[in-house]
Amino acid sequence: MTVLTRPLKVLMLAMASASATIAVTPAAAQDAVFVINAREAGSPTYNPIKGTKLNVGNNLIFDRMVVQDADQSFHGQLATSWESSADGMSWTFKLRKGVKFHDGEPFNAKVIEWWLPKYKGTENAFMTDAIDKVVIVDDHTVKLMMKNPDPSLLLNMATSFMGIPSPKSYEALGDKFGVTAAVGSGPFKLESFTIGQQTKLVRNDDYRWASALSSNQGPAKIKRLTLREIAEESTAFLELKTGGVDMLLSVPTDFMPRIEAEKSLKAVVMPGTEVFYMPINTSVAPFTDIKVREAVALAVNQKEIQMSLFGGLGAVANNFLVSSLQESKINPKFNISYNPERAKKLLDEAGWAVGSGGIRAKAGTPLTVKLWTQNGTQFKRVTEVIQAQLKAIGVNAEITVQDPASINAMYKKKTDHQLAVRAYDYTNADILDWFFSGARLGYPNVSMWNDAKAEELNAKAMKGSRTWEERVASFKVYHEYVMSQFVFAPIYQPTQSFAYSQARLKVPDTIRGIKMATQTIMDIEVK
Amino acid sequence: MLVYLIRRLLLLLPVFLAVSMVVFMIIHLVPGDPIDNMVQIGASPQQRAILVARYGLDQPLLVQYGVWLRNMLGGDMGDAIVMRQPVIDLIAENLPHSLRLGGLAFLFSTIVGITTGALAAVYKDSWIDRSVMTLILLGSTLPSFWLGLLLILLFAVQLEWFPVSGARTWTALVLPVLTIGLHGVALVSRVTRAAMLDVGRRDFVLMLHAKGLSHRRIQLQHVLRHALLPVATILSLRIGWIVGGAVTIEFVFARPGLGSLLITSLAQRDYPVVQGCLLMLAMAVMLGTLLGDLVQAAMDPRIREQLR
Repeated sequence: MTVLTRPLKVLMLAMASASATIAVTPAAAQDAVFVINAREAGSPTYNPIKGTKLNVGNNLIFDRMVVQDADQSFHGQLATSWESSADGMSWTFKLRKGVKFHDGEPFNAKVIEWWLPKYKGTENAFMTDAIDKVVIVDDHTVKLMMKNPDPSLLLNMATSFMGIPSPKSYEALGDKFGVTAAVGSGPFKLESFTIGQQTKLVRNDDYRWASALSSNQGPAKIKRLTLREIAEESTAFLELKTGGVDMLLSVPTDFMPRIEAEKSLKAVVMPGTEVFYMPINTSVAPFTDIKVREAVALAVNQKEIQMSLFGGLGAVANNFLVSSLQESKINPKFNISYNPERAKKLLDEAGWAVGSGGIRAKAGTPLTVKLWTQNGTQFKRVTEVIQAQLKAIGVNAEITVQDPASINAMYKKKTDHQLAVRAYDYTNADILDWFFSGARLGYPNVSMWNDAKAEELNAKAMKGSRTWEERVASFKVYHEYVMSQFVFAPIYQPTQSFAYSQARLKVPDTIRGIKMATQTIMDIEVK
Repeated sequence: MLVYLIRRLLLLLPVFLAVSMVVFMIIHLVPGDPIDNMVQIGASPQQRAILVARYGLDQPLLVQYGVWLRNMLGGDMGDAIVMRQPVIDLIAENLPHSLRLGGLAFLFSTIVGITTGALAAVYKDSWIDRSVMTLILLGSTLPSFWLGLLLILLFAVQLEWFPVSGARTWTALVLPVLTIGLHGVALVSRVTRAAMLDVGRRDFVLMLHAKGLSHRRIQLQHVLRHALLPVATILSLRIGWIVGGAVTIEFVFARPGLGSLLITSLAQRDYPVVQGCLLMLAMAVMLGTLLGDLVQAAMDPRIREQLR
């Protein structure tokens, strides 16, 4: 006993003193630590021209020509105004004066003339494919001459991939741009960046040109901002709870009750930009039969999934697009909703009769299908519920779980899969082209849908519109046709949620922009 | 001894070649490729094909392996495809973090493991022994992922003694070191206890008792010294794991390191990085084992005699 008594006392004392001295040090005044959305974790670069996976830091370092509000309306940032010619073959942009990049270089029309051609041959070339050339009208006015009308030009200009870098630094750094340094004109300068770990940003004290969506025109109220990447959701939540970080830019639905139970924390729910859906491989039996496709789609009880798995948060999905998009407002008769009776009737008509154990069969072959999903708690839970819902109409679905990189490669084999539970996060109707174009069979066209009429409608929607209104109308027609063919089942639209420490941050009541991003971060104060 | 060392180093060459081939093939045979992480989802098949050709991924696998091996032997680990940095730079940036974490965990498990194992042997069948055995059981069976979260809940959330995650201060090392170290403590403690009990049954110990030396002195000064050889064997086998033993723990604690780099690059199928990381981990194990053998030879005259 005596052998242990003294060391034990020493240990206890050491732990007690440690508790007094090693307590987590709160961040300094005006310094803040945010945990980025897990989807954005692992972004390898801050090069908007070449990067295909960018995180929230990108829009803090680089300004864009235009930004979007929560209602998806466009507002000027580096462009003060813009107009398109009646035929859609040219766009004129007036540029903001007095803007400087972090390296002191001025922003003007010459920058645009240098910047847009830089996309040629890069992974993001499709953003500027429709632009033929840039004509400088004066120091702060440019005219973009188009190869063909592109009503989605503004949408493209508002994405992170169209952040504008400093030409001087971009050319000087070459392939190292975005990796060792990144120079833009945004409200924060890049101090350091470790892939998969963290990004340290410092305030750009010269910044005075925030968009009208921010009350504060600049400089930002946060002096130093650290963006941490914490892949494990429990760890991120515990960091917020203990004051190790000040904000989580995404919160899984599972954690919402726990955050709401903490008085010092506040969770904010925003309209979602994500859709869960179940592509149906139209090229393999039994889904070559539209009746079976429709039956499977009608078997998905979207409301049950929303209520039982997501606590009623978010919204059910009845078509392919995020409900805030105009192109999602199609004729209601094309929307897909839970209807088990019709699903059963369709299977009967298709010759699939109820067999032993409630599983349907045709010519002695049971209706057993493959149901793929990717790893991750939400995916697995949604898939398990759908498995049960399919069983209720007599379809035996066997689940296979893969990691995202593997499953995408497996879709490319084209005929190995039948059903899958997937999700996308995007707010442009051209996602319909990405996921249902006959040019991308296997992946991302997991539905393997290749239909002449669909291709025609797709081409019209993608390239045949001169104005935004025309584009919306064309995409609605294409969307309705996609829906009519039952090439997927819509499932669920999650909300976007973020959470922050009320003791540390003062966040505006109204969140501007589609996501928690620059527009709102400009107005966040550190208490 | 020098001849032995040279012989062992030469033997490592075929092992290295075999490991390099396994490492290369493992990642290339898994479905998925880095190009999916480089192109936008809407990119055309032609855009993909250009990138596939640019990185030589359209070449036969053996040709790709040959190129990689040749460059590796020339000291060039290549450039990351997705991360767009030299692999050597990425590893150099992360390796110190893994070494620090793994080294401290090794030190912790060695000191605490030998101490608790010796105490359990000295006070066999007492409450001390039973407590140590419980510790051994817990340390051996609790998954480190889960143990890490438990430690975070207790020491970071409830007591607020240490940060939850990250690598900003030295205090952030405590919980990951404990998480990794506890598994090692269980192993070292179990081996120490068993070895001491085994040595304690030998004749020379009986003689020491007959001479009238106290039980504690016999155990700590004589039995423990003789029992350290199997402990050293176990420890030497764990040296290699200093680098590679923390993959999941770096993930739980959101720490930089080779493990975090490996997980990130694996998710992106960034072949050169995955290959570089796996090869580093394999080499650490190989060199650790070699070092362990040398330590054993240095400690045990019988082994030295066999080497002559």
